[in-house]
Amino acid sequence: MNPADVPLIAPDTAPIATAVDSDVTIHDVERVERALIDASTRLPVLFFYGSAIFWLLLGTLLAGFTSFKLHSPELLSDVSFLTWGRVRPAHMNVMVYGWASMAGIGTAIWLMARLCRTTLRHPLLLIGGAAFWNLGVLLGVGGILVGDSTGYEWLEFPPYAAIVLFVAYSLVVSWALLMFRFRRGDNIYITQWYLLGAFLWFPWVYGAAQIMLFVVPVQGVMQEAVTWWFANNLLFLWFGAIGLGTAYYMIPKVIGRPVYSYHLAAIGFWTYALFASWTGMQRLVDGPFPAWMITASIAATILTIIPVATVGLNHHMTMRGYFGLLRYSPTLRFTVFGAISYTVFSLVGVLISLRSIARYTQFTEASIAYSHMGLYAFFTMVMFGSMYYIVPRLVGREWRYASLIKLHFWSSTYGVGLMVLMLLVGGFAQGSSMNDPSLAFSESTQTILPYLRGRSVSGLLLTVAHFIFAFHFGLMLFGLGRTASVPTFLNPKEEEALEARL
Amino acid sequence: MNENSPKRRVRQGMDYGETEDVQQVHAAIQREKREPRVGLEPLSLWLIAIYGLAIFFGGAYLGRYSGNFSGDGLDPLGGAPRPTKSGATGPGGAQTAELSPADRGKKIFSANCATCHQMSGTGVAGQYPPLAGSEYVNGGTRRLGMIVLKGLQGPLTVKGATFGTAVMQPWEKTLTDAKISDVLTFIRQEWGNKGGPVSPQQIAALRKELANHPDSFTEPDLKAVPEDAELPGGEPAATKPGEPPNPAASPAPSQPKA
Repeated sequence: MNPADVPLIAPDTAPIATAVDSDVTIHDVERVERALIDASTRLPVLFFYGSAIFWLLLGTLLAGFTSFKLHSPELLSDVSFLTWGRVRPAHMNVMVYGWASMAGIGTAIWLMARLCRTTLRHPLLLIGGAAFWNLGVLLGVGGILVGDSTGYEWLEFPPYAAIVLFVAYSLVVSWALLMFRFRRGDNIYITQWYLLGAFLWFPWVYGAAQIMLFVVPVQGVMQEAVTWWFANNLLFLWFGAIGLGTAYYMIPKVIGRPVYSYHLAAIGFWTYALFASWTGMQRLVDGPFPAWMITASIAATILTIIPVATVGLNHHMTMRGYFGLLRYSPTLRFTVFGAISYTVFSLVGVLISLRSIARYTQFTEASIAYSHMGLYAFFTMVMFGSMYYIVPRLVGREWRYASLIKLHFWSSTYGVGLMVLMLLVGGFAQGSSMNDPSLAFSESTQTILPYLRGRSVSGLLLTVAHFIFAFHFGLMLFGLGRTASVPTFLNPKEEEALEARL
Repeated sequence: MNENSPKRRVRQGMDYGETEDVQQVHAAIQREKREPRVGLEPLSLWLIAIYGLAIFFGGAYLGRYSGNFSGDGLDPLGGAPRPTKSGATGPGGAQTAELSPADRGKKIFSANCATCHQMSGTGVAGQYPPLAGSEYVNGGTRRLGMIVLKGLQGPLTVKGATFGTAVMQPWEKTLTDAKISDVLTFIRQEWGNKGGPVSPQQIAALRKELANHPDSFTEPDLKAVPEDAELPGGEPAATKPGEPPNPAASPAPSQPKA
């Protein structure tokens, strides 16, 4: 335990040496070890994934309602629990806590076990955690639809659901930390930094918001400050950290090449931790807050360019020369799309936080475009990528249809692309007409109508994508995947792909 | 489905779910690459330049729009810290007491009275009588107190012109004694008017006296009161000991305002 006892070995020189010049048995041992680890994580991870995908479908349907109601308000408007004011928070919270968080935890468990080179002991505890988490989301969504919503963005779950979620979370997190405690090997890989960070940041962010809003509520407008700090940091420190950690694993793993630079990774991680937690208040530009609070958040958002550029460069240099593999590997394609979206998402975030631009985008659909860039184009796509990698290892089958994966990818890509485009452009149009004193407010809602219809179309594409993926996942779950020694490539395999042995 | 036929499955024999032997692991794990490693490439100069730019831009933004980091400054450009009038009235006194009755009255006036009588005190021809130079404002305080407390209706002649299309509402339920006295002090000293200050006690006394008067006053009611009649609290109110606002108010008339 004494740090001085740990031999100082430069990262990954020793393991390489043993792996390269030893005989084949070392490789065999590693493989068996991986098989054992995968077997131990199978049930909890599949439970988390299965639940996540269920919530994804439910959230997609709710999203469809939300979107259609904006241009066809009479749709089912006489059913109280399907009114816009309830469906929208239900959609957001199902996606945030049901889909994204559960998928993220599933991937995080698997990655943690793999990287700590330890089997998952007592997986039943984790399954209990997943069950509790589902119960929490169920209670929360039910509460919102019944009318118990708290009214704070991304925190609409009534307090009784939040408590259940917290219990579930503490089961999961204590689990992940235990795994880290019993890790083997000297190296702590970049992904582990991010996952550990995420596991420690989530209770901080979520707990602080719960305490400051419900237990010992702060007064007046400060509640809004807490809410936005929470929403932004859940996006950055929880989803962002899990997503980046996953990308740091999947990209080098699939192409079989080391991550470009340790230094870049370290700078990227620590500056991210430092600056991201300051953001959030920029969503309140010109609100009734001391100006410096908002400006500090904007400045921190500007400074997030540092980790974003660093991480982006690191991924890019890792991928350099291997972009051709995007033709074949589903995992790589989804993950790289997500990683690129992360850069775009962050830069758009910097732009729309500047006071001069926020004047046009604030309180418009543009901020919804921003959330979808982060939570969908970046995080969800990375999660899809990791599922395409992990699930075959858990069920012992390959994905059945390459065509379904392709369809999934392109509907998701076009869907989210169209949505973000519509909402960003529409948001600017809406903002300019709201700022124009010669126009009545109702005219500004007219300007955005065509964009909202376009958004509904993009929603249909996403719905198709999600149902296809759920169907494919179901096939895998029931053992109907392919049994083959080669993975399911997106395109007919060629020399190059075989060589790379994806 | 044909791919999944038993024959094929046997031939493959690599599936993890079907074999007892742990050595025979799933094909995906067999072909898998090593766990990711980390290279040690150095930082590029371009990246350091980007860091510098981001830090510079972020810092400049923070400096420009921080509103002087004041706790109550909503204006991102800041400007001077909140203006204080302590310089004019000299040292001493709590911050809240720094405003003279006339200054407080100005705020009350702009919030309640300026809609009709205008900030310039000129009123609106035919509808709202002027306060600037009005004989009612410059005369005794009693008439003025009556008008403000109980309101006024019917035609009224001020400075030779007749007004009467509008009604003045009674303020006794809306404004406190202190506020009414402040606003009266203000209008009696503003726009070249030459009236003396009014104290809250005077208004309180008048309020008590008129408590049973049901309606707004009319011009004849006012004419029944001598033009120079003062409020019941008495003229000496201004010099009463233990009455801080009035000493502070006394320099106010000397303010040269148009």
